[in-house]
Amino acid sequence: MVLDDLGSSLRGTLDDLRGKSRVSEEDVKNIVREIQRSLLQADVAVDLVTDLSDAIERRALEEEAPSGTSARDHVLRIVYEEMVDLIGDSTEIPLEPQTIMLAGLQGSGKTTTAAKMAWWFSKKGLRPAVIQTDTFRPGAYDQAAQMCERAEVAFYGDPDEDDPVQIARDGLAATEDAEVHIVDTAGRHALEDDLIDEIEEIERAVSPDRSLLVMDAAIGQGAREQSREFDDAVGVGGVVVTKLDGTAKGGGALTAVDQTDSSIAFLGTGETVQDVERFEPSGFVSRLLGMGDLQQLAERVERAMAETDEAEDDWDPEDLLEGQFTLRDMRKQMQAMDRMGPLDQVMDMIPGLGGGMMDQLPDDAMDVTQERLRSFEVVMDSMTDGELENPRVVGKERTVRIARGAGVDESVVRELLEQHRMMERTLKQFQGMGDGDLQRMMRKMGDQGGGMGGAGPFG
Amino acid sequence: MFDGLKDKLDSFREDAEAAAEEAADEESASDGSDERERPDRPEPVDDQTEAEADPDTDEDGSTVGRLTRAKAYATGRIVIEEEDLETPLWDLEMALVESDVEMGVAETILDRVREELVGETRKQVDTTAGLVREALREALVEVISVGQFDFDEAVVEAESPVTIVFTGVNGVGKTTTIAKLGRYFEERGLSVVIANGDTYRAGANEQIREHADALGLKLISHEQGGDPAAVVYDAVEYAEANDVDVVLGDTAGRLHTSDDLMEQLSKIDRVVDPDMTLFVDEAVAGQDAVRRAEEFDDAAAVDGAVLTKADADSQGGAAISVAQVTGKPILFLGTGQGYDDLRRFDPEALVADLLDE
Ligand SMILES: Nc1nc2c(ncn2[C@@H]2O[C@H](COP(=O)(O)OP(=O)(O)OP(=O)(O)O)[C@@H](O)[C@H]2O)c(=O)[nH]1
Ligand SMILES: Nc1nc2c(ncn2[C@@H]2O[C@H](COP(=O)(O)OP(=O)(O)O)[C@@H](O)[C@H]2O)c(=O)[nH]1
Ligand SMILES: [Mg+2]
Ligand SMILES: [Mg+2]
Repeated sequence: MVLDDLGSSLRGTLDDLRGKSRVSEEDVKNIVREIQRSLLQADVAVDLVTDLSDAIERRALEEEAPSGTSARDHVLRIVYEEMVDLIGDSTEIPLEPQTIMLAGLQGSGKTTTAAKMAWWFSKKGLRPAVIQTDTFRPGAYDQAAQMCERAEVAFYGDPDEDDPVQIARDGLAATEDAEVHIVDTAGRHALEDDLIDEIEEIERAVSPDRSLLVMDAAIGQGAREQSREFDDAVGVGGVVVTKLDGTAKGGGALTAVDQTDSSIAFLGTGETVQDVERFEPSGFVSRLLGMGDLQQLAERVERAMAETDEAEDDWDPEDLLEGQFTLRDMRKQMQAMDRMGPLDQVMDMIPGLGGGMMDQLPDDAMDVTQERLRSFEVVMDSMTDGELENPRVVGKERTVRIARGAGVDESVVRELLEQHRMMERTLKQFQGMGDGDLQRMMRKMGDQGGGMGGAGPFG
Repeated sequence: MFDGLKDKLDSFREDAEAAAEEAADEESASDGSDERERPDRPEPVDDQTEAEADPDTDEDGSTVGRLTRAKAYATGRIVIEEEDLETPLWDLEMALVESDVEMGVAETILDRVREELVGETRKQVDTTAGLVREALREALVEVISVGQFDFDEAVVEAESPVTIVFTGVNGVGKTTTIAKLGRYFEERGLSVVIANGDTYRAGANEQIREHADALGLKLISHEQGGDPAAVVYDAVEYAEANDVDVVLGDTAGRLHTSDDLMEQLSKIDRVVDPDMTLFVDEAVAGQDAVRRAEEFDDAAAVDGAVLTKADADSQGGAAISVAQVTGKPILFLGTGQGYDDLRRFDPEALVADLLDE
């Protein structure tokens, strides 16, 4: 079970401020220390962490909290503003004809990103083509060709040509009728001078409207040096952060943005061509700090739900936080789980509900394995609507009936009910938490038509 | 790799030494403390709780009793106190984190150093340098050289075929490492068959086929979408039937957050029951290295690790993190994309190098 334990001490420190209306110097020092820890554990460059925490400390001490604002919210807003300020908005990607070149370290996700971006552009109504100039890595041509087939986009590559610059030129000519050209390149790193020269040549040959640096979310402190080299060589106009479906926080991207004076364009969240999202600062900052993000949750749930057959039900994850958590909700949750990840991770994306809360739960409170899920499904198929809505009515007799109907042991039915009770109890805790911060945040987001906009969850 | 850390360890040694010397001078001059400024690092915030909880703490907050100190001083010795080391230790922690050592692992190292140094008495005429160096060495050796074994010998001595399965997250260099090790074994007179257990990734078959052809190695592969455990199993059977010495089983890269894929990895482990499972990660990885090493170790117990892309100007801390959490040795470093770009990892040499010996 993957818990977001990173931000929990930060959350704890912030929660200590809950009742207070003024922050002492000591409070600020403690918070700043926890922020430093969170950011360092998120792989943000050490010097950048120092700059950020200095600014936060100064502002938290100097600025008066607006009346009616708790000390906690005041500090959180400063943290949030400083971070969003540094990371900036998503790179502008105009929906018009253009050429984009991808660059980055070996294995960072360039080829996958090329196909994903092509898919993204095609969904926006533009005709994209991917040009594979990687002549070095075995299978690179086939990989890109297959990915583009999956994305249903045009592809150019030449397995018999070994000059990437030539392929780039030929590719642009061959895909002339495409509106967006995405040029994939072989992986290389800062110290490979000949390869850096090579990408400079490719860059000159295709003169891209922008070059994007593709970066693994797990990259460490080397992010600074790598992005400096790539920026010097081809001019980095934006960053793509990949493999965010893992546990790495992606702090290297913050460093890269700082180093190249650019911004983040796309996020990669999986291996298929659809697993791409436009960057959205509030969610990313929330992740860096380990504080959860509702918007990302909503999007993921939406997508997952759209793919589930249950589209007729307008199930909303926010219902989880409202009144009752029925077996129906649990089943929806289970069905969405494949695509969204386990409930604990989903919960973690809700502001204020992240790891801090989760840490206090028994380890298996949210842990429902695939196998158990399947047997639970079978059990639920044998339950009546009334029982699904209000599982409390299921007593001994009904348990026997349901178990017989489902062809499972009675213990499975009891397990299901127990699991449901546990999840319900957990959600109740969330509902009861805090001083209405959560409700306020949700209302605020509601006001903005569901989007967090520039203000973010703490604005 | 590790150049940055080396420089920083040097400066830690100097700082710790200076701090201890300063403390000694203070003791004789009975002077107030003087905080040295370190402008471009996060500041240390003293850990109140720790000091309070310490039974040895006397009223002026000192960890070692004043009496002990005085006594030591009277007999021409000084005692190193925790607070003398606070700033240098914090700087050391930052240096480790800056070198991509995971924070928890860095703290383990700090604890060791602190344990070794604090309360240590020494003759005033000695230099602190020796002490600091020893403490650092102990701490580093303990984490870096866990569980080293003679890899070549282990392979030669095991009953053939020796099956080695490679695991790790996406894009770290598993397939390339298999190709390199294929050559490595053949050069040592062992025959090799490669199994393409990556039946998922686009172009995976073509990639490994090209390596196998270039190296003249036998390759067992199935259709894309096939059962990875079955491919590796087939290769083992092939090796048994044809007296092949070593089976190198590739797996698709996966992230540890996918329960299904991690379960699939466990299944491969159960079905194939390899002689060795090598976890592959890249030297450029940061704090997450620990997390994934743990999760992969849980899914299919790891016997050793390979750290790739050591040529990419990486800080190298991932080596320390991975070794520490798995308790298993780093066996090889990948140092480039060529087949010969593979080096044995030598922890003793590394520690010596780090400490300038
Ligand atoms: N889980 C996950 N895997 C990804 C993501 N992006 C890429 N990958 C995987 O990471 C591995 C490397 O991706 P590639 O697209 O081949 O990377 P590359 O930068 O083109 O690699 P080279 O051309 O070898 O330098 C593959 O196994 C991809 O499937 C992502 O967002 N999430
Ligand atoms: N510079 C460098 N690149 C490497 C090294 N090992 C692998 N690579 C490259 O990293 C990329 C991903 O490698 P691959 O073997 O496909 O990774 P896998 O997905 O784990 O099998 C490829 O472009 C390799 O050429 C290394 O030690 N140094
Ligand atoms: Mg590629
Ligand atoms: Mg591979």
